Amino acid sequence: MSPILGTLASQFSGKPFSSFESIQTVTVGSGGSSFIEFTSISSSYTHLQIRGIARSADASAGGNLATYIRFNGDTAANYSFHQLAGNSAGAAISSAGANQSLGYVHHAGPRSGDLASTFSAMILDILDYKNTNKFKTVKSFAGHSLNNTQTSRVGLNSVNWRNTSAVTSIQIYQEGNFAQYSTFALYGIKV
Amino acid sequence: MANTYKLISSVTVGVGGTANIEFTNIPQTYTDLQILLSGRDTGNGDWFSINFNNSSSNFTARQFFTNGSAAYSYVKSDANEQGVNNNTSTTANTFSNTSIYITNYTSSGNKSYSIDSITENNASTAYQVLSSLLWSNSNAISNIKIIPSGSIFAQYSTAYLYGISNA
Repeated sequence: MSPILGTLASQFSGKPFSSFESIQTVTVGSGGSSFIEFTSISSSYTHLQIRGIARSADASAGGNLATYIRFNGDTAANYSFHQLAGNSAGAAISSAGANQSLGYVHHAGPRSGDLASTFSAMILDILDYKNTNKFKTVKSFAGHSLNNTQTSRVGLNSVNWRNTSAVTSIQIYQEGNFAQYSTFALYGIKV
Repeated sequence: MANTYKLISSVTVGVGGTANIEFTNIPQTYTDLQILLSGRDTGNGDWFSINFNNSSSNFTARQFFTNGSAAYSYVKSDANEQGVNNNTSTTANTFSNTSIYITNYTSSGNKSYSIDSITENNASTAYQVLSSLLWSNSNAISNIKIIPSGSIFAQYSTAYLYGISNA
């Protein structure tokens, strides 16, 4: 399955006076996609931010399908994560995982069998992404509401990639694959 | 769009660390401020405090917080423990990821701001905290000091101050 089904050029290039610039946007086309990917990420920024909406192509209902991040194609168990969240049952959720092969950025997104046309929304911040003195730490603020018909959730997640290499590519995965119209935009923040 | 989001100043901590990170003489030409902080404490401190205009008085906060195993909600009435830093007990080379967003920092009203802050660790214990905060003071903010709770900021800690304009 093709990982990238639609790629839009930068929307904001040519506006030279802001420190916040669009790099690339990926929108999943018909047929879905197992992951989306940003490659050959420029080293001309200081931080990266990803803003996205996601929905799983899984045909069943019930939410609870996770979204993950991977850097530079590293499939080894070099990721850890932690989660602070609340769900539609009013429960506060706390969880953690060490030595993972992917980093959880949202634990419980909607499926195609859930409320129609509804996506989770997320903002991922990656500070100092090219700093070779640091492992890379991601902060993810994500959530969705399914109009109280199925499980909804809001969460603050953290992910650590135990590698000091500069980030040059990012893959984002969705349990059950991404449904059409899932969209992720990569931004660069300059000094 | 010009100057909508603009770097004002940045700090990269050098060899030997630093007791605090401070932004001084902040220009009064923006609408909001944002600080992006990647911090590590050379001691066992998990938190940082913030002072505005060299004041640690008249701060209040509501926080939603986890240590990796349970979630808590707090009410606070001081300037301490506003966000979290990695420390020496956590995975090497790992730094926090924090956003501090200060609205209407030049206004003559009280200053509302928010902090979302996380640490990481390849183990069960790490901290995530969402804070809504208020500095009850009518003075415009011209100075921001970030102070680690344990020892000092470690080498390679960074902080970036951005100005956001609605004009």
